[in-house]
Amino acid sequence: MRPNVLIVDDDQTFLRLIQKDLEGFSESFNVLIAESGKSALDLLKKAYVSFVVSDLRMPGMDGFELLSNILKKFPDIPVYMMTSYDKPKTKDVVVKSGAAGYLKKPFTAIELFGEITKTLNKKAEGGSLHSVTLETFLQLIEMEQQTSTLRIVDKKEDRGGVLFFRNGELMNARVGDKQGKDAAYEILSWSNVSVSIEHDCVFQEKIIQGDLQAILLDAMRVKDELAEEIEMEEASVNGEILLDSPLTKANPESSGVKPEPAARDISSKKPETTAKVRPAKKEVELSKLSPIDTIRMKIKNSIGRRDGVLDIYPDQSWDALIDQTSNIGNIFNCGRLNVLYVNREKNEQFIIVPGEETTAISISSDSPWDRIIEALG
Amino acid sequence: MKDIFKDVMGLEGVHGLLVVSNEGSVMLSKFSPDFKGEAEKLSQINWEPFTIEMGNIKDAELVYDRARFYIKKSETGFLIVIIGDNAPISMVRLNCEVLLPLLTKIQPASKRIGKILRKKLF
Repeated sequence: MRPNVLIVDDDQTFLRLIQKDLEGFSESFNVLIAESGKSALDLLKKAYVSFVVSDLRMPGMDGFELLSNILKKFPDIPVYMMTSYDKPKTKDVVVKSGAAGYLKKPFTAIELFGEITKTLNKKAEGGSLHSVTLETFLQLIEMEQQTSTLRIVDKKEDRGGVLFFRNGELMNARVGDKQGKDAAYEILSWSNVSVSIEHDCVFQEKIIQGDLQAILLDAMRVKDELAEEIEMEEASVNGEILLDSPLTKANPESSGVKPEPAARDISSKKPETTAKVRPAKKEVELSKLSPIDTIRMKIKNSIGRRDGVLDIYPDQSWDALIDQTSNIGNIFNCGRLNVLYVNREKNEQFIIVPGEETTAISISSDSPWDRIIEALG
Repeated sequence: MKDIFKDVMGLEGVHGLLVVSNEGSVMLSKFSPDFKGEAEKLSQINWEPFTIEMGNIKDAELVYDRARFYIKKSETGFLIVIIGDNAPISMVRLNCEVLLPLLTKIQPASKRIGKILRKKLF
């Protein structure tokens, strides 16, 4: 995902010219334009912007007001101010107001490009990581008590967010104009991300209360609930009948809700969250299925559609590894080997299920393989 | 050297930790007191075929009825952590990730003995 640079000016001719001039650098960043401070703020809520250049004098919301709004709502975005009304102290005042830099009009596209790349490089001074497990990485930041601003890009959905750490503590998070815990939960629900690291944090005050471990656990819960909701909606759209709630199944009387008859008209009714269950004869049905179908059903039942499974197939090439690891397990009195997760070089990941016929499950890098193992183990 | 494993061994449910060289020799082993009995069986294992099979695997997790093995490959060999059901697996993974670079400092017993002999002789 290329960074977005937002240029704000009420002078439409200038916007058109600078946009055209910057087209030559389109491999480095995208250019977004706004003709007023208000429309710039609206755009900042929707798009993941990495850099803002704004004119100082604009009708309505001027450059200073826009800067003040950005510092409040999007504190991690560097803002450069530009003006043709250059006076001796203008630069000092602008920088003291919190701007990252100052450009005197007229300037060339190359000059602007230089400032943009200098600033964007600083934002990734600590390096970039691709396809990382965010949870593990954040725990490292906490453990090493690092102060940093992490810019996270969700490669799947083309969206971005920011996590702010000071001395290993999660101070705040931002997605669009949303900040705090909700923003953190949203970012932590992304699976396939890239992270760029800046060794700085604008937040002195801790906005997000609670320790990271608890937040990570909560985020996992929110993520699961969201996935479940989506699955429910999909099931509802497909007209799938989901009966026998776990609650009513466990103790229908105590819940005070009588189970509904199975053959009722549900065409116009969306299933309740608590009414999600699989058929009671699951075990019997499973025994009739092939090993691969059984595995597929177990994964679907416990994880849903977002399982990251690419393929399931019989594969005897793992048998030698299974033999070796089973022997080692026997010697250590660990019992039967139920399932293996292997991450090969080149990031090929598999879950292997031993049996009469060894089954290999090829999975994507964002697969919740931990949960698959739990379901199969 | 064993102190570098203190954090992993200190985690709840971690039974033991081994470092096996790429050639299949045990370079280091450490077990919790409740797993000492099983640890005595270590010499019964021929690790060489295991390391051959694990050749192109970066990391792996083996789930048994009563335990789980977390295996991570380093330049030197394989770090194997034996854990119980109640172990915080994500913390185990994280700690292993952290100590992995330190594993290069461990040398096979044969090399260590060689060094000692050289020191004594010259």
